[in-house]
Amino acid sequence: MSIERKHTISEIVDRYFEEMEHEFEHWGRTLTDKPSWNQKNCTIEPLHDMKITPTEVIVTVDLPLTFENKVQVKPLDESTLEISAKMKRKVRFSELGITHCEGEFQKLRCYSRVPVPVQMNKMKMKFKKGILEVHLPRKRKSSIKQR
Amino acid sequence: MSETRIIEKKQIPSGALMLFGFPDAGLVGVIAASHLIDELGLEEVAYLDSRLLPPIVVLHEGVPHSPIRIFGNDKILLAASETPISADIIYQVMDGLIEWGQNKKVKMMISLSGIPIEDRQDAKELKVFAAGSSPEMLKMLQDKGVEGLMEGYMVGPQAIMLMRCSQIGLPAATLLAQCFLNYPDPEAAAEILKGLAKVTGIKVDVAKLLEKGEEIRLKARDVMKRTQEEMVKMKKGQEYDIPVYVS
Repeated sequence: MSIERKHTISEIVDRYFEEMEHEFEHWGRTLTDKPSWNQKNCTIEPLHDMKITPTEVIVTVDLPLTFENKVQVKPLDESTLEISAKMKRKVRFSELGITHCEGEFQKLRCYSRVPVPVQMNKMKMKFKKGILEVHLPRKRKSSIKQR
Repeated sequence: MSETRIIEKKQIPSGALMLFGFPDAGLVGVIAASHLIDELGLEEVAYLDSRLLPPIVVLHEGVPHSPIRIFGNDKILLAASETPISADIIYQVMDGLIEWGQNKKVKMMISLSGIPIEDRQDAKELKVFAAGSSPEMLKMLQDKGVEGLMEGYMVGPQAIMLMRCSQIGLPAATLLAQCFLNYPDPEAAAEILKGLAKVTGIKVDVAKLLEKGEEIRLKARDVMKRTQEEMVKMKKGQEYDIPVYVS
């Protein structure tokens, strides 16, 4: 697993469009469904979940057919994580029952937006049985001084 | 016309065991049902037709099928759904299937499902629990080596099946394997099939199921996602609640 922070210009442009896509996905889900796979990028969106406790936010992602050392977690900003993982093998669309398009998937990728302030630089990760757990400590507000 | 009807495609045996594998926590029932169909070579013998269902057909080899079908042989009938059943119509669907099974004089109904646990990925072994439609059924399940689920809430198709069978006096059980709530769980499906073997003697090899586990998890994402939406509507989270026993 690795945490990446440096990006090329093309990555920044790609990320911009991905963020736009993510926003559309977030707001558009109520209007229409979209596939959980992207033919152009050859990616599949994995299932992911989030648990918010008083001290931390735990993001979990189901990453079947991946190795731990191929998992990447990138903080895109103060509240968004991009989680991706190259798959052990390419999976043809037809293997997943998608027979009206041609192509193959190589990567799992999803975005997770954390709704409370967290310390991205203190994230910790765990990968077990194909489930990635990302632990993000919550930011503590300064306490009120007692007189 | 009744709200749901079962269309029979083949001769239905009398006195069979009727199983249910519907989308729920970890898709345990659906994955287990799919493996049973493959391993036992069960054929589609009937399907559910209802205008209450959304306008969905499942295409297999270019031919339309109902998303809720009954597979079987001369001893087993297995009702399985390839799409989550909406909370709004679940009573009508389950009532239709149970009434049909009762008319076919099934000897027992068993629902295969999951019970979610926190930190599932850290669990070394997954337990299987059972609830019975009567004290006699529960005793039989416990005698066969399955731990009883003595207190708590059960939410979903398996809850309706158990309650209806209890009301009409048809022996029934729900088997529940510890599982993920929101992620497909082939390991839990394998455990539920081992539990089924203890109770009924129907043994299937689960090695292939475990071998294909990662592929199953990848393929089942979309059904799991839609099932999550229905579980929220059904208040599935109530299964985590501590019950207040009212005597």
